[in-house]
Amino acid sequence: MSDKFSVIGKRQTKLDAPLKATGRSQFTDDVVLPGMLHGKIVRSNIPRGKILNIDTSKAEKLPGVMAVITHKDSGGVMVGPDQQLLCDDMVHYIGDEVAAVAAVDGDTAYEAAELIKVEYEPMPALLSIEEATAPDAPILKQYYEDNYADDLNLNYGDVDKAFSESDHVREDEFISYPSHNCFAELHGVLADYSLPGKLTIWTPNQTAILIQKGMARNLGISESNVRVCSLNTGGAFSGRGTVRPHHLIAALLSKKASRPVKIIATSDEEFIICRSGGKNRLTLKSGVTNNGTLKVIKADHLYDCGAYVETQFIMPTIVGATLQMLFKVEAFRYKGQLVYTNNAPYFFHHGGGLVPSQFAFGQHLYLIAQDLGMDPVDFKLKNAFDKGETTLNDTHYASCGLKECIKKAARKSGWNRKYGKLPPYKGIGIGCGVMSSGGKGMFQHDTSAAFLKIAEDGKLSLFTGLPDMGQGSHTTMAIIAAETLGIAADDITVISGDTDIAPYDVGAFAQRGTFTTGNAVKIASLDAKKQIAKTASEKLGVKPASLIFRDRKVYPKGAPDKAISFEDVVFDTLNCMEGRFIMGRGFYNTPTTKAALAYSFGAQIAEVEVDPETGIVKLLKMTVAHDVGRAINPLAVEGQMDGQVFSGMGQTLFEECFMEGGQILNQSRIDYKLPRPYEVPEMEHIIVETNDPYGPYGAKEVGEGPIACNPHAIAMAVSNAIGYTMKELPLTPERVLQAIRKKNRIS
Amino acid sequence: MKRILSLKVNGNSYEVAINPWQTLLDVLRNELGLIGTKKGCDIGTCGVCTVIMDGKAILSCLTLAIECEGHTISTIEGIGTAESLHPVQKSFIENGAVQCGYCTPGIVMTAKALLDENPKPDDDEIKDALSGTFCRCTGHIKIMEAVKKVSQPEDEEKSNV
Repeated sequence: MSDKFSVIGKRQTKLDAPLKATGRSQFTDDVVLPGMLHGKIVRSNIPRGKILNIDTSKAEKLPGVMAVITHKDSGGVMVGPDQQLLCDDMVHYIGDEVAAVAAVDGDTAYEAAELIKVEYEPMPALLSIEEATAPDAPILKQYYEDNYADDLNLNYGDVDKAFSESDHVREDEFISYPSHNCFAELHGVLADYSLPGKLTIWTPNQTAILIQKGMARNLGISESNVRVCSLNTGGAFSGRGTVRPHHLIAALLSKKASRPVKIIATSDEEFIICRSGGKNRLTLKSGVTNNGTLKVIKADHLYDCGAYVETQFIMPTIVGATLQMLFKVEAFRYKGQLVYTNNAPYFFHHGGGLVPSQFAFGQHLYLIAQDLGMDPVDFKLKNAFDKGETTLNDTHYASCGLKECIKKAARKSGWNRKYGKLPPYKGIGIGCGVMSSGGKGMFQHDTSAAFLKIAEDGKLSLFTGLPDMGQGSHTTMAIIAAETLGIAADDITVISGDTDIAPYDVGAFAQRGTFTTGNAVKIASLDAKKQIAKTASEKLGVKPASLIFRDRKVYPKGAPDKAISFEDVVFDTLNCMEGRFIMGRGFYNTPTTKAALAYSFGAQIAEVEVDPETGIVKLLKMTVAHDVGRAINPLAVEGQMDGQVFSGMGQTLFEECFMEGGQILNQSRIDYKLPRPYEVPEMEHIIVETNDPYGPYGAKEVGEGPIACNPHAIAMAVSNAIGYTMKELPLTPERVLQAIRKKNRIS
Repeated sequence: MKRILSLKVNGNSYEVAINPWQTLLDVLRNELGLIGTKKGCDIGTCGVCTVIMDGKAILSCLTLAIECEGHTISTIEGIGTAESLHPVQKSFIENGAVQCGYCTPGIVMTAKALLDENPKPDDDEIKDALSGTFCRCTGHIKIMEAVKKVSQPEDEEKSNV
């Protein structure tokens, strides 16, 4: 492989790492504009009730206060179809935005916010799926007939027939509790709407274009009048893809005060405004034959989306589709329902909603394997998809390394020596996952555009709208361009993060960056290459098609001794009589009606130790195998694997928002248990390359695939260690101890 | 009422007028323009804002600036530049320990304080020193590797064999 590629497959350090490691990278809070004000939002302190009066008079009189806004100023601006920007007559959760102030400094803004008096008439709140779906429950949204916010029904094949033909049928119910993303960089925004006609905002995000569109749509202004500057983003993990109330509030405050306004969330506010995954209740029923062939899956899914649907309308689609994409079945039925409650509106946690459902699915399959007396690895291999096969929802796998991942992870971890042979309270578990490289259907199209220009010195500027939230996407794009043009990745400057400059790109989610934007960058690079090849072909007297671009040189195929430098060819192109300026253009919109053309697969094997006295679980080792198609940058691939194992471990073992009366009780990064250095497991990376025919140089996603395998593997390992299969997530010490006691009572 | 404060940061002397309740973090970022130190939770739970004072890693969000007079402070800007990297910075870059980069300055400073005091820490000592830091992207895995490699460079490992 090393001969085939000169840049791809090498361990490339991130191009922006030196800036980040020396404190030179800028994030939203680092931007300070002349005359900038500080904003503060006044939030509801009750979960449900009528607003009787809002008195802003004292706040307005406080010296240093430059703007106060309530629903009277928001002019009916909506955040989403079911959400007013600032509440007028009702509040729907603890944290609902009611008013906001902008003042000359943060202290004054806080003081002013305290001076705003809101009178409420509290109303009975519905704080769980069970309360909200009870027959006599009050209806939370006037324009609905019940509290179901959205639903999805999928039905493939003859489910009843498949059940009747099954030798063994099993049904289990699984529950998962809310968790939180805990970004390193808290939510924040700087909005400058001080000049009429143009709104500029700086905010951490994973899609500048959707923020731009959302701001324009909600404020009723033209898209070209909104400029979004992204800078760096301190973690996104599926949670920074849309316009949020604080973005719009900062814009309105800035307009009213005619000065730029910055709003940065406080630590406890962060937990209120971005709860990352609500309570899930998932009932799974499956039928198998005696020899372990999975025939049918039926899933009923209830999901607490909180007070507003926000991004969660997509949750049933992700969960429903994924349940029939990993293992072959004859028939499948899914019913997913979002339920309105008076909890905070939920957002995705790392894994795009798949941690709860993959936990449930994995434990369900483990129970079935135990019922059949089958080794879980054999059970998975028997039912796993292969290359060239098609799922019930007509998704075709042009490449598929699922079985290879399972086999390699099992071999490397010593599965056969360990499964069923470990001492008490030590356990081993295997999890598998599938993930799309793209998200068509979530948006109208799945387009990425890219362009590039080359300077006289042979250095290249690559323009992309794909954000880099740390995953290394800009370095990946530079590697793809460098490989195509035969130069080095550090010959390239990636220019991004400003919607006035960067070309269209739907953004960095749905694991689309490497695949979709990577294809666009490759096309743009080939376009530029053609322009350079014209000059080189004139100089070398050979056809453009027979030129090789490699190691900053251009030469006829088979004659590297005739090489001319890339820099010289570029110089001659730019300075020839026609003055040909090199501009590469490319765009890619995945040519399919499905979510994507490429799907990645993975298998992980977790080894754990449980302390029977405390219930504390230690993840000792994780063997991670992932089919990435082609590892453009193995260092970044490992980084993705590591981060997802750690995050998945956190969500599986510790992370839970404790709720009481609509209030989160553990709203700090100490009270909310998340993994830290003490929890670092031993890692074994296995990169599987299946060379996808549609991916740029064969590459597929690695952005969320590994985390889909993770809860599956860890939960099974814990269950294996204690001899009891747990059905509630996360597997906190309390729940593990309870499970050990239940097991002891049974045996 | 504001007070005049003399601060020594990265070898430079500064004189600033501040409110007594201002934190070292706010003074570094807003008065001295040293924005390399990032503001995380601002309540001492994440380690993002870590700087070194008199050789010890401290949380600048929990330190009042007024208490820092007469002490020697060093921030991420003071230990190396992109052209002349500190060994910890170099190791973080080379070993893939930097992803989104928001926590990076604080963790680099925490690691530097550890290695200045204990140049050959074992795994548990590294975990202990870094236990107050918080990284959502790397899972701390490559961060651990990076810190280890500063204290045990590979060529040294080989020569020991």
